[in-house]
Amino acid sequence: MKMIRKSIAKYANGFTLSLIMVSLFNALLVIAKESNNALKEWMKVATGHHWTTHGVVVLIMFIALGLVLSNTNIVERLDVRKALVAVLMVTIISGFIITGFFWTHI
Amino acid sequence: MTAEGILMSHVVFGVLGILGGIWVFAEVLHVNESNRKRIIYASIATAILIWISYLLGGYWYVEYYGPDKAIIKAGPWPWAHLFFMEVKEHIFFSLLLLGTFLPIAVYSNNLLADKNAKHLVLGVAGLIVFIGLGMEGFGAVIAMGVKMGLLAG
Repeated sequence: MKMIRKSIAKYANGFTLSLIMVSLFNALLVIAKESNNALKEWMKVATGHHWTTHGVVVLIMFIALGLVLSNTNIVERLDVRKALVAVLMVTIISGFIITGFFWTHI
Repeated sequence: MTAEGILMSHVVFGVLGILGGIWVFAEVLHVNESNRKRIIYASIATAILIWISYLLGGYWYVEYYGPDKAIIKAGPWPWAHLFFMEVKEHIFFSLLLLGTFLPIAVYSNNLLADKNAKHLVLGVAGLIVFIGLGMEGFGAVIAMGVKMGLLAG
């Protein structure tokens, strides 16, 4: 049990950073696809629906970035307190980006 | 009936996911040796419930939402789709990421010894509850948008 916990523990900071980056990326991808018809059309063709592609891209990025960052020394310097503030801030900011974007496009 | 069943299941699992977030929050607030395993199980349950809600809601949205969308956009509350559905379908990804991250943060940290890690998990669980409640409210507005469209037609 302890060995499993130890092997999983090394991924915690990597996925924290990944969460921060991908949350922001999610909001920016909304603006990008809604502002660029070619991108939205490509996303629609890729899986049959732009929203499905959006979800697949976000989830693959979250997992891939989490795994990659877990194996770099960036995560060793991660301050959990700063990470908490960053997670809260990025989630709130990306929420404002998405709501703000659609509010101006009603 | 299938569409309605899927939609209602999406809502039910979403509510259960929110309750899971509240459960994790309450347990972590009073973390001790006796509830450490329960926190792990609660965080995994929360992630699974949010994922089920996402898959059910996503399937319904892609397969069945089209006619409802047309009714809303032709009715007196077009913003129920143009704002509320558009925001809901994209902010849900934040909820999904937070829900997936929750058990990773719980399992890989010693919440009893590390106060910062404890606060991180509390923050993530709190966000899950907050965003989850928002999603439920947005869903209610979208449903009302359909009703208003049908009544007007």
